[in-house]
Amino acid sequence: MTLTKKDVRKFLSEYKIVALLIVIAIIWLFFGYLTYDSDLGGSQFLTPRNFSNLLRQMAITGMLASAMVFVIVAGEIDLSVGSLLGLLGGIAAVLDVTYSWPLWATILLVIALGLFFGVMVGWLTAYLGIPSFIVTLGGQLAFRGMVLGLTGGITIAPVHADLKFIGQGYLPEWLGNIGGVLLFLVLVFLAFRTRANRQKHSLTVSSMPAEVGRLLFAGAIILGFVLTLNDYQGVPVPVLILLIILAVFTVIGNKTTFGRHIYAVGSNMEATRLSGVNVAYVKMMVFALMGLMCAFAGLTTTARLAAGTPSAGFGNELDAIASCFIGGTSMRGGVGSVSGALVGAVIMASLDNGMSMLGIDTFWQQIVKGIILVAAVYMDIVSSGNQRG
Amino acid sequence: MSDYLLEMHDITKDFNGVKAIDGINLRVRRGECVGLCGENGAGKSTMMKVLSAVYPYGTWSGQIIWEGKELKARNIRETEEAGIVIIHQELMMVPHLTVAENIFLGSEPRTKAGFIDYDLMNAEAAKLMARLKMGDINVALPVYNYSGGKQQLVEIAKALNKNAKLLILDEPTSALTTSETQTLLDLVKEFKANGMACVYISHKLDEVSEIADTVTVIRDGTHIGTLPMAELDTNKIITMMVGREMKNLFPREAHDIGDVVFEAKNISCWDVTNRERKVVDDVSFEIRKGEILGVAGLVGAGRTELACKLFGCWRGDHEGKVFLDGKEIHIREPRDAVKLGICMVPEDRKRHGIIPLMGVGYNITMSVLKRYTSGGFIQSEAELAEIQNQIIRMKVKTAEPLLPIASLSGGNQQKAVVAKMLLPEPTVLILDEPTRGIDVGAKYEIYKLIFELAKQGVAVLMISSEMPEVLGISDRVLVMGEGKLRGNFINEGLTQEKVLAAAIGQPVTEAA
Repeated sequence: MTLTKKDVRKFLSEYKIVALLIVIAIIWLFFGYLTYDSDLGGSQFLTPRNFSNLLRQMAITGMLASAMVFVIVAGEIDLSVGSLLGLLGGIAAVLDVTYSWPLWATILLVIALGLFFGVMVGWLTAYLGIPSFIVTLGGQLAFRGMVLGLTGGITIAPVHADLKFIGQGYLPEWLGNIGGVLLFLVLVFLAFRTRANRQKHSLTVSSMPAEVGRLLFAGAIILGFVLTLNDYQGVPVPVLILLIILAVFTVIGNKTTFGRHIYAVGSNMEATRLSGVNVAYVKMMVFALMGLMCAFAGLTTTARLAAGTPSAGFGNELDAIASCFIGGTSMRGGVGSVSGALVGAVIMASLDNGMSMLGIDTFWQQIVKGIILVAAVYMDIVSSGNQRG
Repeated sequence: MSDYLLEMHDITKDFNGVKAIDGINLRVRRGECVGLCGENGAGKSTMMKVLSAVYPYGTWSGQIIWEGKELKARNIRETEEAGIVIIHQELMMVPHLTVAENIFLGSEPRTKAGFIDYDLMNAEAAKLMARLKMGDINVALPVYNYSGGKQQLVEIAKALNKNAKLLILDEPTSALTTSETQTLLDLVKEFKANGMACVYISHKLDEVSEIADTVTVIRDGTHIGTLPMAELDTNKIITMMVGREMKNLFPREAHDIGDVVFEAKNISCWDVTNRERKVVDDVSFEIRKGEILGVAGLVGAGRTELACKLFGCWRGDHEGKVFLDGKEIHIREPRDAVKLGICMVPEDRKRHGIIPLMGVGYNITMSVLKRYTSGGFIQSEAELAEIQNQIIRMKVKTAEPLLPIASLSGGNQQKAVVAKMLLPEPTVLILDEPTRGIDVGAKYEIYKLIFELAKQGVAVLMISSEMPEVLGISDRVLVMGEGKLRGNFINEGLTQEKVLAAAIGQPVTEAA
């Protein structure tokens, strides 16, 4: 009895992401069953159309969560992202609607401003030593105030079609297919290069059949993903952006000195400093990345609504933070992954989407999401077990 | 049989199938002090965690008989109620609470109205401290006002207040000065005379031989032997601990000493909080290529502060000039120092040395990660290969190269931290208490490494509170006291007495 329990626990802590995927499957089956309607020819939840919707809904939270993981891993928190998203989205709307700037210029300026605000928050935290909780709480108020001042409290619409495309567009079917194939080829290339490198440094390599099996499995998932989305309208543009962010951030986290230093700073800042790492710079750049993601999310929000609204992004920081924690990021810093946070975002979006589809009141949705967050973190504590001592 | 207060039979505890301790027996009579000895990772701490129910009954196998009855405690509270109190290596004090509040934490006396009865509490606390011959402590002051040694005694007062029948002391003296240690040892003797039993865990075997009546030695989780102290001496204990004879604790090797590489002139540092107080007072010294320079002194002499200043991590005010190869250098941050080839292994391994959640390997490569990148990306395979080299070179015992470093024993953590600071290939290596809290075997390996480095021409500055270590390793010894440099001796015919006399500021009769 104890043995099996231990085994399950070990499995879950080692393959946390598998556990989360199982949770997603359960949620989807649950909603799939509840939304079954024989008149409409099947479940309304488990359709390509809804899958596409769900991914689009999670894209913005996902963008924020991708960078929020690094912030939390570094032992900090950012409560200002929702307001900063609103501000940057509002600026994009004003530039596009009021001044009719070309899209590229709007994007460039918004990204530059995102980086600027991110660096500023990071500088206040890392160099002046003001706790990030305070800096970003102040930022939350200040940025929201700026949005209200900028928009005059009214909605700014309509934005141009090219900006709208970022939030509402779809990739044509053929482009989606090509993308899928390219992604698969890159995975194959990386897998074999890693094998070659490991052999060069005489490290052990996994057996060839296992490697091929793993690649085929990844290929099947990519294929299923692209085909399902193509069955509706194609891969949504924000989802594509999110996937690129996922790839880039995962590489940053695992393959760069900057990424390694983020985890080190979050685990023990003093020891990291005494190892000769510029810890203040690392922390500042983490906030810069967060600002960058606010720019992406702000542009996407404005594009999706086809308007800049004073309340855009309200409360988004909490969704992003919750996604990170559901996805296994540790409160204490030093542990977490971008992929985990995105899976967390999918869980949150699935709950939203499913409950809305069932016509459940918003207040219930919030209550359920709150409970899920607490329960998820508890699961995490249980599964990581008595290992702390 | 019943003259035993505690009997632990055949205790076995495993973690995921790996046996940490395997069939260990430990018996303690009333009024007896049992020394528990073993290298780091031998299973001493696990044993004590079983006894104090940090690992509750049922998670280990074996039997604990306490006062003739089987003890099946589920948590620390239950063992404390039974009278088993453990005092950990790291102090468990709440710094901002007063001495009295700390002593009574969790068992505060209350008035009828339900508020804390401070008068009673302070009076009781003062009585307890008087019993410990520490009547001069003001129990109404926050604990942080007192030194580590006095805090240790507060910890003991807390145990007395819990009516401890068995006191477990886990490396109690690792942060104490010589006189504080003596006070503690005297107290334990007095407790023994009053019938209290004691389990004393320490690497300092001279302490164990002074107060223990019986010694139990464990190695690699197995019971090696239990003998009365009368039949033992420190050498015999060491032989039992390591399983081989250690004739020479300090593997001295001849090495050439070259020209001066590093010079510090008129270094002064001020306290971080109390900005008026000088903690390092006008210290100047130089160190040569391939020289091992020991820095001796009592705790609080300003040695760590000096090292911090040189490495660029002293947070208070400081002044003074530093020269490397005759050129003045400016170090503001540790990273400046590492770049210039000055590395430091810090004193407090847990707080400043290890990055606990990260793998051993990633800890080792932390300071030179850039080396394994190409085009901005880490070449994981090149890094892993280097990690494996280092793990083999430093004899770090770890199941996997990327196991979180926090799960390793202290000695192995220390080896990894040293490896981290050797990878930048330093010209000057500062070691602050490099062997604190690590076992004899690991110590020996670190000493060997120090000599190897000296042979390669590295200038080693070694701060140590263990006098035999300073005398056994160094070519030259600096002695500090109250922030000042009080002695600079060539290590020839140097005695502990002479160093100690210099440290406490007695005039040195012979010329250095």
